[in-house]
Amino acid sequence: MSQDVLLKVDDLKMHYPIRGGVLFRQIANNYAVDGVSFEINRGETLGIVGESGCGKSTVAKAILRLYEPTAGAIEFDGKDIINMSKPDLREIRQDMQIIFQDPMESLNSRHTVGTILEEPFVIHGKGTRAERRKWVTDLLDKVGLQSDSVNRFPHEFSGGQRQRIGIARAIALKPKLLICDEPVSALDVSIQSQILNLLLDLQREMDLTLLFIAHDLAVVKHVSDRIAVMYLGKIVEMNDAESLYKNPVHPYTRALLSSIPVPDPERKKVHDVLTGEVPSPINPPDGCHFHARCPYAEQICTKQRPELTTTNSNPNWLVSCHLKENFIN
Amino acid sequence: MAILNLSPLTIKTLKRFRSVKRGYWSAIIIISLILLSLVAEVFVNSRALIVSYEGEWHFPTYGAIIPGEEFGLGYQYETNYRDLKQKFKEEGSDDWVLLPPVPYNAFETDLEAGNYPPAAPSFTKQHYLGTDTVGRDVVARLVYGFRIAIFFSLFLLICNYVVGTAIGCLMGYWGGIFDLLFQRLIEIWSNIPFLYVIMIIASIIVPNFWSLVIVMLMFSWMGMTWYMRTATYKEKEREYVMASRALGAGTARIIFHHIIPNTVSIIITFIPFSVAGGITALTSLDFLGFGLPPPTPSWGELLRQGIDNLQSPWIVSSIVTSMILVLTMVTFIGEAIREAYDPKKHTIYE
Repeated sequence: MSQDVLLKVDDLKMHYPIRGGVLFRQIANNYAVDGVSFEINRGETLGIVGESGCGKSTVAKAILRLYEPTAGAIEFDGKDIINMSKPDLREIRQDMQIIFQDPMESLNSRHTVGTILEEPFVIHGKGTRAERRKWVTDLLDKVGLQSDSVNRFPHEFSGGQRQRIGIARAIALKPKLLICDEPVSALDVSIQSQILNLLLDLQREMDLTLLFIAHDLAVVKHVSDRIAVMYLGKIVEMNDAESLYKNPVHPYTRALLSSIPVPDPERKKVHDVLTGEVPSPINPPDGCHFHARCPYAEQICTKQRPELTTTNSNPNWLVSCHLKENFIN
Repeated sequence: MAILNLSPLTIKTLKRFRSVKRGYWSAIIIISLILLSLVAEVFVNSRALIVSYEGEWHFPTYGAIIPGEEFGLGYQYETNYRDLKQKFKEEGSDDWVLLPPVPYNAFETDLEAGNYPPAAPSFTKQHYLGTDTVGRDVVARLVYGFRIAIFFSLFLLICNYVVGTAIGCLMGYWGGIFDLLFQRLIEIWSNIPFLYVIMIIASIIVPNFWSLVIVMLMFSWMGMTWYMRTATYKEKEREYVMASRALGAGTARIIFHHIIPNTVSIIITFIPFSVAGGITALTSLDFLGFGLPPPTPSWGELLRQGIDNLQSPWIVSSIVTSMILVLTMVTFIGEAIREAYDPKKHTIYE
């Protein structure tokens, strides 16, 4: 089992100090990510869902060490990422790549597509000029773009095509782990499925492991093997994709799932409507972070913070709720 | 087009720049003036362009001095080509001399017998704007003064921008203690009274072109750092920089390949204003007598003379007109560049 684990995140914390006053002393913390743990097996797809601001993207960027996490351990391919030296980190970055949400933002608008796609090879000193040219053409072909795109600039492409360029750059160095940070959220629905299928094809072809982040449950369900639901910097429920949809336990998951529109006019709507706003991660509520919005909250929820524990003695099914036994059908 | 693969954004910016007519024409005029000033010796010089003497052609403009003996004159110092021309004319020989349009250099004094300089403008003597208080041609002083002033400010600008951009980018990119330290350092440094320092330095050493560039650099590199620092702070959090970092790019690569190309509009927008600032600074230093030592041709020194000799209005009027024209055109260029980079729909200047 442990041999198959590609990425192991253990109790990852990302706290941003908030300074104020005359001497800029730390007066508070923004608990953007507060103790997130999960594992991803080789070849698997883990989906992370949650509202905006719940820390999904921060987790992704901390795994790549684009942000320095406050605490916690990240193990990638058996190596400790957090305490890794710079040259080692540079090497290992070939094995983990990221696709961003907004391709217009993530592609340098002053570079041609050729320059953008060549950059990974240049940084790692791979190949001669001619070889790199050829690789770039291969990459474009792989993501379904024409090879004459090389001399064009990102803004000359449509949103979907731009995202393909972003994907091509991410897979250039043949990574093992591909982190997709809301890769389709900025796209039209009609384009979304094309991009998702491209990702799935690439996963099969290149034996990729995906960490798929989104706020759209339907999208995540389509691609993921397992899904983790995040709320305010914590994972509240994690389960196999199928089971999570069939058997949501955490009230937040239930609310999320019931908010997916179903194209069936006959179906009766049973909505667990959430009221109120997401509390600020600067001053998270005591007890369960969700209790203020939870329709089932009891006394204990306001006092004690629930742990993420296995449920029904299923090691894959983790829920963080005091009352979870009540919700299991 | 294939060789110069300009980004369509750049082409659009250039088009916009051209649409601001007065800035566009000012740019053409100033650039041609700078280029022409590089070969000013051809237009304003006491040396002849071509001398035809005994069937042989000489080109004295560039190169070593040709002594008078060479042309049958009885002296070993440099030929006076105006006299030579006169002589050939009087002799009626086949030899001839082609003089530049303004046959004086910036250093020689042309004194008339029985008259004290300054002399009024005269077409017959080819002093088109007259002479200054020691009898030097005003046009020559203006042209060579312009050359020195413009290149001084261009060199100063390059030095300023290299230092300012480098420090500003690093402040923004590294942030933290480095940023804080340099911010305070720059604040303190900016408050040193620049003129006093120049006066002190000028009283210890005689400044020359390069030492003046260095002294000025020491007190003017700070301006650019603030803009670059802010721009870098903004750019480094953008996702294309993140993507590059995720690929393993180092600081140098990110700054030179990603941040600077994306902040180039800031740098370019400031160039004309820095040029104008550089010219003004050198002129005012020369005006006060702390700039380049005499007899270097300089606008500031000419302005000083003009103001001291208001009874000879050709001096003050020519220098003031030149300054106004040059500075206005440079400002027009700056305005057009700013307009070209303005993301909002640009105003039309007629």
